Amino acid sequence: MTLARAWSVGLVGLDGHLVEVQADLADGVPGFTLIGLPDTALHEARDRVRAAIANSGEKWPASRRITIGLSPATLRKSGSTYDLAVAVAILAAAGVVPVESTDGTVVLGELSLDGRVRPVRGVLPAVLTAVRSGVRRVLVPTMNAAEAALVPDVEVVGVPHLAAALRWLRGDPPRDDELVVDPIPVAPTEDAAGPDLRDVRGQAMGKRALEVAAAGGHHVLLLGPPGAGKTMLAERLPGLLPELDLTSALEVTAVHSVAGRLPAAASLVTRPPFQSPHHSTTVPALLGGGSGIPRPGAVSLAHRGVLFMDEAPEFRGGMLEGLRQPLESGEITISRSDGTARYPARFLLVLAANPCSCVRASGQPSSCTCSPQARRRYLAKLSGPLLDRVDIQVQLFAVGRGDLLDTAPVEDTAAVAARVAAARAAAGARLAGTPWRTNSEVPAGLLNDRWRIPPQLLRDVDGQLDRGRLSVRGRDRIQRLAWTVADLAGRSVPAREDVEEALALRSGAEAIAA
Amino acid sequence: MSRPTYAERVARAGLSRVGEPDDSALRAVVATVGVVDAWEMVRASDDALPARLRARTGGRAAGADPGADLERLHALGGRLVCPGDDEWPASLDDLDAIGAAPLAMWVRGAGRLDALDRSVAVVGSRAFTAYGAHMADAIAGGLADRGWATVSGGAVGVDGAAHRAALVSGVSTVAVLACGVDVIYPPSHRDLLTSVAAAGLLVSEWPLGCSPMRHRFLIRNRLLAALSRGTVVVEAAVRSGALSTARWAQRLGRHTMAVPGPVTSAMSGGCNQLLRETDAVLVTDAAEVLELVGDLGADLAPRPQGAVAMRDALGDEARRVVEATPVRRYVTPDRIAQTAALPAVRVTSLLNQLCAQGLVEVSDEGFRLAAALRRAR
Repeated sequence: MTLARAWSVGLVGLDGHLVEVQADLADGVPGFTLIGLPDTALHEARDRVRAAIANSGEKWPASRRITIGLSPATLRKSGSTYDLAVAVAILAAAGVVPVESTDGTVVLGELSLDGRVRPVRGVLPAVLTAVRSGVRRVLVPTMNAAEAALVPDVEVVGVPHLAAALRWLRGDPPRDDELVVDPIPVAPTEDAAGPDLRDVRGQAMGKRALEVAAAGGHHVLLLGPPGAGKTMLAERLPGLLPELDLTSALEVTAVHSVAGRLPAAASLVTRPPFQSPHHSTTVPALLGGGSGIPRPGAVSLAHRGVLFMDEAPEFRGGMLEGLRQPLESGEITISRSDGTARYPARFLLVLAANPCSCVRASGQPSSCTCSPQARRRYLAKLSGPLLDRVDIQVQLFAVGRGDLLDTAPVEDTAAVAARVAAARAAAGARLAGTPWRTNSEVPAGLLNDRWRIPPQLLRDVDGQLDRGRLSVRGRDRIQRLAWTVADLAGRSVPAREDVEEALALRSGAEAIAA
Repeated sequence: MSRPTYAERVARAGLSRVGEPDDSALRAVVATVGVVDAWEMVRASDDALPARLRARTGGRAAGADPGADLERLHALGGRLVCPGDDEWPASLDDLDAIGAAPLAMWVRGAGRLDALDRSVAVVGSRAFTAYGAHMADAIAGGLADRGWATVSGGAVGVDGAAHRAALVSGVSTVAVLACGVDVIYPPSHRDLLTSVAAAGLLVSEWPLGCSPMRHRFLIRNRLLAALSRGTVVVEAAVRSGALSTARWAQRLGRHTMAVPGPVTSAMSGGCNQLLRETDAVLVTDAAEVLELVGDLGADLAPRPQGAVAMRDALGDEARRVVEATPVRRYVTPDRIAQTAALPAVRVTSLLNQLCAQGLVEVSDEGFRLAAALRRAR
């Protein structure tokens, strides 16, 4: 037999396509060509595969003209994922393993020159694609076996080196170091929920803002001088969010897999992720991109979790505006020469900002020398359509010594998270039968209609509206927040104090406008 | 006046079909022989009628079927309100004195025509600016918050904004139309007029199916003025129809008010002219409107209050927060909460409110008392 094939998967973003790897051994001038839109890394597969086969003790068909065709030929293929499939196809064509042994098996993995199989990115979405295409067996690098086994209904074989893969394809019994992994039942990981809210002294309103944000899915702006604990607070927000359900967990794990961010002993990511890009980051790192096929950025890595942008006004122009598409649609579309990728990006946004640029240098709010115009200019970098989507805008104050002496009992993350879960359940029950799950998603029209707050409770709000201290959108936002505060308090309809608290949760907006 | 008989109702419906409300010849016949006989004469094209009136009404009378009109009106959920009915508002009798009373009112909606004792007409241009929109909304909304109804013309622009503000506040609003109450005009106000009918009233002196014509708007304006206690012109250019409503209000001895605008804005030219050349009173908000049209003493506009008086009017919790807020140094809300022995989140809400009232000041470091209270302490 001089023609054989193996199966692999090509990924564009999270979307996978089954790729057929055909090997043809023909008479003629000896040579090795690889066709089917490969990129540079894939071209190098020829040399890796030749060395790996030789170093695994197999005979390289040196006297034949070898052609490898990857189809569909129009799909751009990149990376080293196809190495193992190419090697298997050649050896099947050469008769080293039975031709039919590769049927119905997807083969993924990079080869090193000595024949070892090295881990690759994106195994989870690739295996998901394979299963969707009807494949029931996958051959993956041992290091990726746990990740592949997260997918139900598939037999996962982890191979440490090429020789093991060949032995398995021939049907020989595996040796000790060769791993056959059964699908493992998905159990929530017992990883720590991150830092505890108990460690934050004072900042009652900041903590409350997190609680309301977690309960209602509201984006947050924390406005305050250094030392107010903005970062400490933001880091504790994921701990307040509920555990990811299976669908979300698979989505999140898949994105992290494509980004190559999963640890070797990969398990399902079940806790909401936390991403905090530095303000010197680049647009591709934040939103996704890179050459060839676009890779996920921080917004997608924060999918179903928290995206924290400290020193938000310091982010270079345009970057904050780039957040608008994901905030609007929950996903981001990136186009590059080799394809258009769509990544999920439904995150809770936490922006942190100092009131002006000088306190960042001195750390002492009282030593601020900025003119009112300079302060306004600094925060104006935030204003506009982005802030329009941020429901909670609280002003925080530097914690003084007196606050540290406070001996009042401090709630821990578990207690607050329990309240958040109850509030989410209450909101979910109210919104049952609608496409929305949290208060932040409810459109403004329905706030004034189906879920109307008694007008007399909104008198203060309308007074501020009349005086121009509040926009109509701000009024909608206060209504959404009042519902979340009421959910947290276990009330079925917002009371006056809920509306008052909602107003306080927007106090930062005034500080920006001032 | 006794309750009108069915024959009288039919006669009024028929007469409003054959003649325009400003037809003085027809009005004279009605005044002489009464509505029932006048209708008989018009229908029979009686020789006793002036020849020109006969010529004007003859064509329309031939096709008129007031009985069927009334049945259609009832099928729509409407009714014909005639002088002598319980629902006939006394305010319309003022038009009698100047010989301009309507024959009957075709109404449709959940409200009652005689419940307009506490109502104000809010009118203005169809083409309005953001200023006009804001002021119409603020005044009609403010009136609604105090339980006053808004009467307007159902047109686009100021009229629409006024109706909308009243609807949002959940108070009755009345649209006086220049066409039949079954005709949606302007077409873009289909939803608005439907909502007005559901929560308030659509009113017209023209029968069903009548289309809006230019001269009808001017005739209609006297009803806007007569039905309400006063007329506010929100934004009107010098040639706006809203000024005709204001003139009617003045003729009827109703309060006439205008919201001033920039002298450079042509859209406010009519309002400014009204203020300069007539007895119209300048108003800037709903409270000032009510001070004029409201009950003596009961509806005075609130005087600006001093900070000390405001502090004395605070609730218990808010007063404790003010007591706990330092005079000079800014402190965090958490510290104030400790001193006041109240939950910190609640204290932050209250401080935020006190800030809006101007009783405390905020900086990057926290809160302190505002200047007015510092002196008082």
